[in-house]
Amino acid sequence: MNGGLLGRMSEAMHRGVDEATRQGASGARIHFSHSVRSGCGFENGRLKETEQTDTAYYRIDVVSEGRRASVSGNDPADMSEMVGRALALVRLGAVAHFEAYPAPTPTISVPMACERTSSLTRESLIEACERMVAIVREEDPDLFLSASGSRSSTEALLVTSGGVHHATRATSWSIGCSAQKTTGTDMLFAGYGRRWRQLGDLFDPSFIASEVVKDLRHGARVVEPPTGRLPILLPPEAVSMLLMPVWAGIDGRNVAKGDSPLRERLMEQVLDPCLSLVDCPHTPFAPGAAEIDDSGIPTREQTVVDRGVLRTFLYDLDSAGLADAQPTGNSGCAPYYPKVLPGDRPAAALLASIGDGLLVKEVIGVGQSNVMNGDLAGNVALGFRVRDGEIVGRVKDTMIAANVYEVLRSGVSLSAEVEPVSGMPWLLVDGVTVSAMSRQG
Amino acid sequence: MRDRLAEALRASTADYAEIRFETEDATHIAFRGPEAENVSSSRLQGGIVRACVRGGWGMAAFDSVDALEDQVREACRCAALVGRETTELAPVEAPADMEISAKLEKDFRGVPLSDKSALVARYNDILLRSAPRIESSYIAYYDSFRTVHFASTEGRTFMEERPKVTLAFGSIARDGALVQQAFDGYSSSTSYGTVLEREGLMEEVAARASALLSAPPCEGGVHTVVLDNRLAGVFAHEAFGHLSEADFLYENPKMRDLMHLGRRMGVPALSIVDDGTMGTLIGTNRLDDEGTPTARTDLIRDGVLVGHLHSRETAAKMGEAPTGNARAIRRNVPPIVRMTNTYIEPGGATVESVIGGVDRGIYACRAHGGQTMMEMFTFSAAYGFRIENGKVGELVRDVVLTGNVFETLDRIDGFANDLMIFEGAGGCGKGHQFPLPVTFGSPHIRIRDVVVGGK
Repeated sequence: MNGGLLGRMSEAMHRGVDEATRQGASGARIHFSHSVRSGCGFENGRLKETEQTDTAYYRIDVVSEGRRASVSGNDPADMSEMVGRALALVRLGAVAHFEAYPAPTPTISVPMACERTSSLTRESLIEACERMVAIVREEDPDLFLSASGSRSSTEALLVTSGGVHHATRATSWSIGCSAQKTTGTDMLFAGYGRRWRQLGDLFDPSFIASEVVKDLRHGARVVEPPTGRLPILLPPEAVSMLLMPVWAGIDGRNVAKGDSPLRERLMEQVLDPCLSLVDCPHTPFAPGAAEIDDSGIPTREQTVVDRGVLRTFLYDLDSAGLADAQPTGNSGCAPYYPKVLPGDRPAAALLASIGDGLLVKEVIGVGQSNVMNGDLAGNVALGFRVRDGEIVGRVKDTMIAANVYEVLRSGVSLSAEVEPVSGMPWLLVDGVTVSAMSRQG
Repeated sequence: MRDRLAEALRASTADYAEIRFETEDATHIAFRGPEAENVSSSRLQGGIVRACVRGGWGMAAFDSVDALEDQVREACRCAALVGRETTELAPVEAPADMEISAKLEKDFRGVPLSDKSALVARYNDILLRSAPRIESSYIAYYDSFRTVHFASTEGRTFMEERPKVTLAFGSIARDGALVQQAFDGYSSSTSYGTVLEREGLMEEVAARASALLSAPPCEGGVHTVVLDNRLAGVFAHEAFGHLSEADFLYENPKMRDLMHLGRRMGVPALSIVDDGTMGTLIGTNRLDDEGTPTARTDLIRDGVLVGHLHSRETAAKMGEAPTGNARAIRRNVPPIVRMTNTYIEPGGATVESVIGGVDRGIYACRAHGGQTMMEMFTFSAAYGFRIENGKVGELVRDVVLTGNVFETLDRIDGFANDLMIFEGAGGCGKGHQFPLPVTFGSPHIRIRDVVVGGK
């Protein structure tokens, strides 16, 4: 990472913001980031490629006479010219619901950069991938195995006409492994991966490989899928899929624009009382950790749904102005590091409580449904039938469909265990419609 | 630029190296509800060096050509860490130096922003006001002019201009807690004219969103389904097209065995083609991003698998000819094997007879999207109708279809004669590269025993 780059950019960015305000803009901001990434990829169980990426990006936002416009680029030498382009564009700009960027207020310092992650070598990443591949291959030498690893370092600077000058430095690593088992025309895909900012115990190739092996074992046998309205158990990595419509409904812009079914439901019971949804941007080294939003407003830890009661919507600066609400420091009105608070039952007990249902690990096509309405429908890419509390085998040609607001309204159970990266528990929900092609013809 | 790239490649120590450098200027105007939501522009540049040493690849992505020799050396270092085998790349038959300028009938770069903005505002007004119970709307205009420069250590260079203009739009209707939406979109690589005079389509979309509020959801279960041209095109792309991409096959012995040329694939009346040379469609380019000329590739001919889609490496390793399908979505990512313009060839039946052959089923229309996991696919119709006794009946919503490609291609029992290729506003996604300009095409087709999800 070039340590002097932010210093050189800082001067140009302040000049750009000053130039915009001198030309009549009531607000201006420039965000610059520079990332260096190194990674490797394995194909068919052996190293196939390594890569290095060194890229920069900046975005200039200008507000003038009730309008806003943005311009982006990646050549720092162009910045002055691009400010002029933004000032020309803003005359025909989008409607702005704020006049100026706010003055700086104290921010919480959130650890996001780890020296050990910065110094993670390409050779270490290759070694981690080799280890994952070796463990999974032991399970079945005929598997088609892929693996990848990366580490990145990013430095970023935000300068606003409100007086914010905020620099951040962040690191990140990721490793993952996937296996494909092909038997005739049947294909079983199993994969697992992790991403975190600090290099520590979570960087565990053996654990990742063991998760893949677990799914391969559960999926070895294809069984007759159940149909009807059934209980579905979601492991932590699948919970965010189910909550996708809820976060879209909590998005303050969707609320202000009238698109969210949750609008006018603040302080109402909208989900099962066992469900509390929180946003935790101050979690040290979490992938979504953030100190400040893209307008210069400090981020905050927030309980968004408290025991099923909707407590707040998430607003960025412009959407808050549109809704006549206070900004919550959420860029794009989205959560940074959303979690579901855990329940009190062991995950094994949730599984054991299922008479006939599914354990669903991955679904394809969910985003194609009418998500804003709460509808989710998709093909179970990796899922298992559960009978009398036991996983009996993998299902195929099986679709699940539900309105999330209906199925999360009651009858939800959560595990006490939480997956350490996603912060999610296991979630059991009832009444999901399962349609399937019978294996018996 | 070609001299600069060629000069930098002298620093290569690899068996093979190439540099792709791109510039892209883009404009974006979007409305959501009654207000303009986004007015923005961008100017981005950058590229990627790819080097191959003993069959292993190294890559270095960059923004500036200032220290290009260093990027070449870095890519070669990366490749040297990997390679343990033999570099195999199929030979390319193309002129050593090509310049392919865009041929725009009406150049969007000459249209003032105020005109573009006024057009989008007028359309948005129709989306919002031309039907009852419409609560909101969205419309996005996007144009980009991408210039690709390429040079390789084999001494080949090219420059290709790739313009694109897109209009995507929709209406959102509400009745109490029920929210329904309808949408559409168009793209063109040749003319700003593609976004003009679309008032009728805006009215149609608003009316459909409103009508869907009264439509019952489609029942889940196993149905006979007739797909319209646009949805059948997505089916061809999702259900089969991705499976023909050789980067999923060439290193995977079981997949190579499963997808060997000459195997039976679907009913005898089925033929599927990928053609990157078709006219001026948005999936068409003269060269792919490895400098291989694009081609027409028969994938299934009369129910037999006869072709795969290739990069130079997959073609060499599978002993087949390169097809010009190595495509990159943006400047700093490597090309991967992608489709171009993919379509099912027409049959001889009328649309009426294809639908008329269904006692009880679903007529599924237009695509909301699609996704595949090799043999398993799913795609959503934008809307559908019940078919009762061979007649199209009641409008239904939430039509999501799924299946196994090998079984589903064997259950197509009707091909109409109305092939249509559609240049939509979306694109194809693969390996974090989205949205790649592609087109989908098909006649109406009828499929027995399709799993339809529903509540």
